Amino acid sequence: MALEQTLTRLQDSSLPTQIRESVWLFPTIETVHVFALVLVVGTIMTVDLRLLGLAGKERPFSQVASEMLPWTWVAFSVAALAGLLMFSSKALVYYADIPFRLKMLCLVLAGINMLLFHLLGTRHLAAWDRGRPPWHAKFAGGASLLLWTAIVAAGRWVGFTT
Amino acid sequence: MVEQFCDWLSRTSISVAFQSANWFVPLVQTIHIISIAILLTSVYVVSFRLIGLTRGAQPLAALTARSTPWVWTTLCVLLATGILLTITEPARELLNWVFRVKMLLVLALAAILLLVQTRTRRNPDYWSLSRTRRLAARAIGIVAVIIGAGIVTAGRWIAYV
Repeated sequence: MALEQTLTRLQDSSLPTQIRESVWLFPTIETVHVFALVLVVGTIMTVDLRLLGLAGKERPFSQVASEMLPWTWVAFSVAALAGLLMFSSKALVYYADIPFRLKMLCLVLAGINMLLFHLLGTRHLAAWDRGRPPWHAKFAGGASLLLWTAIVAAGRWVGFTT
Repeated sequence: MVEQFCDWLSRTSISVAFQSANWFVPLVQTIHIISIAILLTSVYVVSFRLIGLTRGAQPLAALTARSTPWVWTTLCVLLATGILLTITEPARELLNWVFRVKMLLVLALAAILLLVQTRTRRNPDYWSLSRTRRLAARAIGIVAVIIGAGIVTAGRWIAYV
């Protein structure tokens, strides 16, 4: 119950109320969210496809990753901020929404997958940087590809259920 | 004319079938968005290089050549999924001025990409040969970035106008 009180207080505060009541604020924030998430997904999938050996095979993995991932973080920050603003405008509705919960779950899983890959999966990077990634790196790339597809699908689904 | 066409299309059995499956639109939109993600990333990687914002390990010509198949494949998928969405809800798209602006922006972006790709393929140094060319490259890159953002913006606003 404490959480529901916090969410009620959040959506009743000034900015969330403004977003909810304005005709153009929500679509504008949503546009920023979509624009940023498109770049998040595009840059992450470029790295995933390299891990799977489906794109950029002639370039070292570390080169693809270091050129793409800084942009991923910039875009992710923008998407997350815009997402938080949208969430705050109807916090109780989103909190109760199943697709929204699925999306958050997939985001957490994608984060764990990324963390594990960076902590453990890249320990012997020098051995495969220019060649074929080992099975665990392919697995991380495949999991990331599927999770981000699920995040987009769940995100789109949220739009039809809230 | 267009209204009558929308009316007819929305009553065809294929449109009715798409409308009655409530998972159809979100599924097709998901494929549409993922294709946009790959297209826009490919376009921005080349555009940022044209502008001079990034310096990568590989030259512009190699970058452009690598992005070309991705650009046209995703554009085809976007066209196909876009047609499916239009068949499902013809009036939502065809009678909407934002949709028309979006289509014009898509055509403009395709023309720019074709120009950059063909010139770069014929001469890898095309965009750095003179001061004018360097300025042109910068301008074209900036325009492509703006048009790309415009396409995404228009795409989202079709739902609100």
